[in-house]
Amino acid sequence: MFAYVIRRLLISIVVLFFATIFVFVLVASSGNPLALLNANPHIPHATIVARENLLHLNDPLWQRYWIWLNGAIHGNLGTSISGQDVASEAISHLFVTLRMVIVATVIAIFVAIFMGVLAAVRQGKVTDHAITVTNFVLLATPIFVLGLALKEFVAIPINQHLNKIIFYTDGEQSPTLSGSFFSRLPDYAAHTALPVITLVLISYASWAIYQRSSMIETLDADHVRLARAKGLSQRRVLIRHVLRNALIPVTTVVALDFAAVLGGAIITEIVFGWQGLGQWYLNGVLTLDTNVMLAYLLITATFVIGFNLLADILYGVLDPRIRYA
Amino acid sequence: MPAVTGAVEGQGSAMGLKGLLKRSAFAALAAGALSLSVVAITPSASGASTKASSSSGGTATMALDENLAGFNINTSAASEFVLQEIMNMVWPQAFIVNNKLQPVMNNQLLESAVQTSSSPQTVVYTLNPKAVWSDGTPITADDFIYNWQAQSGNTAYTDVGGKPYDDASTSGYNQIQSVVGSNPSGSAACAPGSTADRNVGLCPNGRTITVTFKPSFTDWRSIFTDIVPAHIARTVGWNTGFVGPTQTISGSWYTISSYNENQSLVLTRNPTYWGTPGKLDKIVFQFFSDDSQLVPALQNKEIDIFNPSTVNLSIVQTANQVPNTTKVTLPGLEFEHFDFNQADPYLAKLQVREAIAHGVNRQAIITRTVGEISKGITPLGSRMLVSTQAGYKGTPYAYNPSQSANLLKELGFKKVNGYYEPNYGPQSGQPLTFTIQSTSGNSIRAQTEELFQAQMKAIGIKINIQNYDANTFFGTNLPTGVFQIAEFAWVTTPFVSGNQPIYCSYTSTQCAENWDHYANSQVDSLMASGSAAPSTTQEITDYNKADAILWQDMVTLPLYQKPQFWAWSNNLKGVLPNTSSVGVTWNAEDWTVSG
Repeated sequence: MFAYVIRRLLISIVVLFFATIFVFVLVASSGNPLALLNANPHIPHATIVARENLLHLNDPLWQRYWIWLNGAIHGNLGTSISGQDVASEAISHLFVTLRMVIVATVIAIFVAIFMGVLAAVRQGKVTDHAITVTNFVLLATPIFVLGLALKEFVAIPINQHLNKIIFYTDGEQSPTLSGSFFSRLPDYAAHTALPVITLVLISYASWAIYQRSSMIETLDADHVRLARAKGLSQRRVLIRHVLRNALIPVTTVVALDFAAVLGGAIITEIVFGWQGLGQWYLNGVLTLDTNVMLAYLLITATFVIGFNLLADILYGVLDPRIRYA
Repeated sequence: MPAVTGAVEGQGSAMGLKGLLKRSAFAALAAGALSLSVVAITPSASGASTKASSSSGGTATMALDENLAGFNINTSAASEFVLQEIMNMVWPQAFIVNNKLQPVMNNQLLESAVQTSSSPQTVVYTLNPKAVWSDGTPITADDFIYNWQAQSGNTAYTDVGGKPYDDASTSGYNQIQSVVGSNPSGSAACAPGSTADRNVGLCPNGRTITVTFKPSFTDWRSIFTDIVPAHIARTVGWNTGFVGPTQTISGSWYTISSYNENQSLVLTRNPTYWGTPGKLDKIVFQFFSDDSQLVPALQNKEIDIFNPSTVNLSIVQTANQVPNTTKVTLPGLEFEHFDFNQADPYLAKLQVREAIAHGVNRQAIITRTVGEISKGITPLGSRMLVSTQAGYKGTPYAYNPSQSANLLKELGFKKVNGYYEPNYGPQSGQPLTFTIQSTSGNSIRAQTEELFQAQMKAIGIKINIQNYDANTFFGTNLPTGVFQIAEFAWVTTPFVSGNQPIYCSYTSTQCAENWDHYANSQVDSLMASGSAAPSTTQEITDYNKADAILWQDMVTLPLYQKPQFWAWSNNLKGVLPNTSSVGVTWNAEDWTVSG
């Protein structure tokens, strides 16, 4: 197992390396970040030359990549067009997004498993139909519609009814927030609730559908019938013999989807006014900021590769029959 | 549907504001006065015509829907309306334009401001001896000297590192011959000044400032607004030094206590303020990237007041459903327009610009866009004044598609497959194509662009639409001239001379906001003589003549005077919408909250 993980890590590094090359070429070809300055006759030539040198725009592509890679290895992702340190900006925005996405993913996993198991156990009954229909409705709902609907029809009426702000509709925290971390927690929670609920509702639905299918398939397996024949309780059969096996495909989907949720949180960030990674990336794209785009894509690529690896490892943990050569 | 005449909903009475509004591509021409007489006011400097009666304290939160590009409002890069709404309470203003559009002397900063001579025009300002910056440095003649030099357009004066000053406007300052201090506080003698500070012999520590204009400047009350702290600017730099609360010290009611980029900015009472303190403990500005989030935020009591950069039907309709709030719609000083960049080889041709202008059915655009919000809006006939201002002289410009075709044919363009093809330049043999750009996330502008696209297709010109976030559009694309056709709004001030830097020849360094690469010496001369005119009437006459030439040259195409919309919680008292470029926070020191 250990050797397998090491080998996968090494392969992942190679994959990440090629991903950075691909992304670099793609981004470097997408436009000149100084195009706007170049087009302005009032900007002194010396200023443009200095900026070109700072961004190494006159160097060959491979050399620029090497400079970037060398910096990236040492934690230096360069500076943005506006002169900000990209690495620290990326980390700051990443934490904002992770605060939303991690909480949402954890909750969504539990909800998805519960709903999937319930629907499978009650297959063909009203509960199953209700859960399945709900899941498909949520799957078909655009995330911004869901976010706006939650604001309008849930948060605001509740707040008005209680005459107190339980759910904030904009921002990550109150502007005048101060005090210790624990005293700030309620404010964080009130700001995080709506974006998290939005992401949970969007994410859990597909996972619950996977969970249901996987459960139904496992319920018909020989070893489950044998377990029942041995007189094991329904609860023990479900948890020990069905759920554990049924979790394997769902685990893969969740692990792979995490990076997608991270990237997809951009719409949620816009709807709820969060200055997360997605908004930062969007601004980078609009200003043709190569370093910002690279940092974003590097982060998401790292997450995709990392969670692929995690999925493989979890496979082995959840299914002892899987052995890593 | 609220009428353009200014109905106040929620409070059940007409405010009768005579007026104009503001916003968007804030021209930095902020402040100033309509060459009206000084209005004495007490005890508050801004002289709100109605005063809040609630007790002091509390926090008010205002939504701003554009991000900041810096803090020096006097630079072209940071000159945004949203920043003006903040700086009204932070940097000292010699005169404040009130909600009646009258320039009012800030009697907490100044003891007096008097024109003592008309030839040469001389104005003497007497500072309140208690006036200090929030770091304890006295506000003196040195601040006036520095602010004049930085905005004079004179290349002999440079920013740190010898760089030329980036000014949003030099209007008025470029007509100042000298700024000299006198009468330092107490029995102190005049400081000698220093060569480095360029104030040798000018008595920089003086509390009386004598400003001499040559030629005269009719709108002298429009300058020395947003006074930059000289001692800070000389260290950090005028152009790019003011990046946050550390450098942006206060010389007014409130000081910036925190700023989270794109999220929020908090003003707290300035502890060193010498005058009547602001009534609220804090004023919070919360930044929104999407106007559609404003109404839910007001409804949810996360904000107390908003004034969207561009009002749309959806905002008005949804805001009208929010109980316990006041809503006001007024016609403003802001007008939407198309800009044609003459650096483009095709837009450089007058016939092409005229062809486009004749092909635009402005009334149809109005009907399909702002006409749904406010009835009775008609195409604007001037760039210098809006229809609600005295002296407005509207020039009609006919919608005439057949004339458009004739003009393009005159140039030798041939129509192939529905589009005219130029016979020269990079688009030779291809459909004549332009890109229009504006701010993204603005439904009315998006709709206008689509209508423009369809109308241009009808006359054989292909239009692409490419929108940008406000930072990129106003902060980069327009100032750097990277556009062909741009749609945005100018927020005029009550001072017609504020138009000078927009339309004077771009070849002059003093025309920081002529992004269209337009140059006409006749226009320059008319605006110069207008700005030095002995009366406002003469000034307006000259500016109207300049506007007539701008119509002939089809520099820009004014579309319509924009309706302006405010909504605020009834818990917030003392709000008086101001349609000028200073915005609704012009009297925020008098705001109070209850409940």
